[in-house]
Formats: sequence, C-alpha cells, structure tokens
Amino acid sequence: MSFGLECKKMKRTGFISAFLCGGFLAAIVPILNMAVRSENYFGIDDSPVQILMNANWQMMAMLNLLLVVAGACLMYHTEYADNAILKISTLPIKESRLFWSKVMLMIVMCIMILIIEAAGIAFCSYHWFEMSADVWMEVIKSFGYALLLMLPAALGSLLIASVCKNMWVSLGIGVVCVFTATLLPTESFVLSLFPFALPFQIFVETIENTAVSFMIAAGMEVLFIGISESICLKVRRLFK
Amino acid sequence: MNIIETNNLTKSYAGFTAVSGISLHIPKGTVYGFLGPNGAGKSTTMKMFLGLTKPTSGSFVIDGKKYPENRVQILKEIGSFIEAPAFYGNLSGEENLDIIRRILGLPKSAVSEALELVGLTPYKSRLAKKYSLGMKQRLGLAGALIGRPPILILDEPTNGLDPVGIHEIRTLIRSLPQKFDCTVLVSSHLLSEIELMADNIGILNHGHLLFEGTLDELKRNAITQGYPTDNLEDTFLAVIDADNRQRGGER
Repeated sequence: MSFGLECKKMKRTGFISAFLCGGFLAAIVPILNMAVRSENYFGIDDSPVQILMNANWQMMAMLNLLLVVAGACLMYHTEYADNAILKISTLPIKESRLFWSKVMLMIVMCIMILIIEAAGIAFCSYHWFEMSADVWMEVIKSFGYALLLMLPAALGSLLIASVCKNMWVSLGIGVVCVFTATLLPTESFVLSLFPFALPFQIFVETIENTAVSFMIAAGMEVLFIGISESICLKVRRLFK
Repeated sequence: MNIIETNNLTKSYAGFTAVSGISLHIPKGTVYGFLGPNGAGKSTTMKMFLGLTKPTSGSFVIDGKKYPENRVQILKEIGSFIEAPAFYGNLSGEENLDIIRRILGLPKSAVSEALELVGLTPYKSRLAKKYSLGMKQRLGLAGALIGRPPILILDEPTNGLDPVGIHEIRTLIRSLPQKFDCTVLVSSHLLSEIELMADNIGILNHGHLLFEGTLDELKRNAITQGYPTDNLEDTFLAVIDADNRQRGGER
C-alpha cells in the first residue's frame, strides 16, 4: 500500500480541496487580523513572527486540528462506506500498512497547509513589519515545530477513525477532543501533552528546554499511538 | 492432492459456536461446493481461510502453507469474494480494480482482462456506487479473478444477479479450473446451484460438517440413510432436517 494508492483512493472525495481551502482560510487569519487592527501590534517589542504567531496561532491551530480530524474521518469513511476495507484485508499486505499509508498522506497534507500558513505569516511580516533575513528562519523553525506537534493529533484522529466504522462517531470524538484542547491552559506543561492540545504551542514563545521536551513528548505519543493501532487491529480480528 | 485442508477447525463466539471442529479436504483443480442453510458457518469458515477472523481452535493448511505463520503468502494465492461486494464507491469499476492490481503487483492488462471476464468492460468508467446490484457483484468477482489466482474463494457469488447473469457466472466458475488451472471453493445455500458447478461438496449445518464427497457419493449415502434421492434439493433438505431433529429441533 503506497502513498500513491492512498491519493488515488481520495479521488472525488473533496479531501485535497478541503485541505487547500482550509490552509488558505487559516493563512488569511493573520492577514485579516493585521488588515483590520494592525495598530494593536506595532508597539510590541518582539520579533514580527513572534507578534504574529502570538496574535493568530490559536485560531490557526484550531482550524488545522479541525481539518486533520475531518480529513482522518474522510479517509476511513471511503474504506468503510462500501466495505472496501474488507477487500483490502483479504489482499496480501499487512493491515497496519493501510494505517501508515494514511499517516503519510495526512503528513503531506499537514505540510501543505503549514506551508500556505507560513506564507501568510511571511507576507504579514513583509507587508506590515520589517522583512529581515531572520524572518524566514524563524518562520521555518516555527512551522517545523508546529508540524511535529501536530503529528500526535493527526495519528490520534486516524486511530479513532480506524476504530469507528461510523464516520459520525469518529468525527464527534475528534471535535470533542479539539474543543477539550482549547479549554486547557497552554502554560501547563502536563495538560499541554494531550495530543490535541500540543498543536497550540508556539515555538517562538517557548523556552528551548520546554520546546525540546514537547518535541520528545510528541515523538513518544506518535510511537504510543502507532502501537495502539497495531493492538487494535489484532484485537479486532479476534472478535470478528 | 488437497490444496486446502482443515483439521478440527473451530470458531466460537461468546454464547455460540459458528464452526465446530470441521475437517475439510479440498482437492486441487476442482470446484468445491460449500453448502448449508443461512448461518451454517460457511462464511465464517471462508473468513478464517482469508485471515479475517482467527480460529478459536484447530488449524488449516492452504497449498502447504500453514496459518497464521504464512498469512501473507496464503493471501497471495487466493482471490476472494466474501459476503457483499466490497469497493470504493467514489472510484470507477476500473479504478477499483487498478487499486487491487497495484497491491498485487500485476501488469496493467490484468484490469481489462478481469473486466472482460465478468462482462463489465462497457461500464468500466462508471462510478462503482452507481452500479446496479448485479454489476457490483460482477465487480466483486472481477476483484477475485484479477491476476488468475490459483485458489478462488467465492461466497454466494450469484446473489443479486438476474437469471442470465447467474448462468454466465455459473458457466464462468465451472470453466475456471480448466481455463486458469485453479481451485474454486464456492458457497451457496442452494443445492440446485451447486450441483451445476461443483465436483465435490461439503454440507454444513450449525457449524458441523455433515457430509463431504462427490454428488454421487451423496446420493449413495442418501439411499443407505433412506433419504429421498429423486431430487438433490430434497436430499439436501432431508440431510439438514435429520440433523436439526437430532439436535432437538434447532433450525
């Protein structure tokens, strides 16, 4: 099961266009914010990227999470809707490969939306602040960090979607997780480890040691979710 | 030589046993009819062969390969059609088969060949969700036949087909061992259906294998047991009825 096959399966589902539109929507957030109330941010003694991320990232991260949850549901809905997953299960491939191929596609989609959003932030820096050479490096670091912290939520959404045959159940669980995450204070390290709360963290605002801790935690969560998926597949076969 | 052999294969769920210690012997290069009323355990047995469900006890060997150690190797040799047709509704018939082709690593021509075999070529570009039930059934069959696997497992493949379609598919299944040198395990709850296709049959009821052998052997067996033999349908019903009475009126 390859990445190309997963792309093919998503044909005519609106999956890629949903991510594109979502990415552009999130990228417009800082632009609109600066267009209507730029005076609020000019006096702040921080780097442009830090100002823009502090002002907009919470909204952008929530849009990203909702996209990830909806995308994961859509991916598994195509498998379950007409029972295609049953046919795939009878083919000579490991079932876990189906999950990891979907993870690959999801990561590519996340990279795509983060690039669009990074372009939005870079545009704001250029248009409303000074565009120094450091801005690009800061944007790349911030969005690379955002991608890493988004992985547990992406894998978690896929795990939920793979377990629930009914798309509305997985969508409901995902949305509840996203809104629960918005209620958690981002200053609390332990509470921020909730996979759906991690993407709200901002690199430029976090001290280096904490940022490293968050990245290690994200890696461990990815590993834990991957193992959980393997266990789910084995358990499911026992009860089928 | 038997290409599929089971040894006391059992599948139990909480409260009931779907398949109870069956020992099947399916000869290579034949059509083996798996008969039984609804809920007899035919689909569960087939699902175990495909690794979709884990046996509670017992074992099986397919083409000399043991499950579960060689699950992927076993699946490489099997083309299957289980329960209802399974497909991606957002893709066309051709695209659906192309996904299977790519997973199996077959040449591109395999798709058109499979479509041709089941008579779906004129509708290959139509979305699968817009297919009629019969067309979906044919797509499922094409998915099983693609790449000419040496073993075919078909669970009630003629369900939902019109009489012409049933005849076409029956003729196709009958011809497969000669055409592609394969072994076919086909299930049905209709003896009339199976007797036109199968060389050997296995009759299953409440998870128990009541009979295994050729149709002639079934007839001979029925005569000794005092069951009607004028019509094979009646023989089958008598075998099932006698087993049900023995189990205390279970149906």
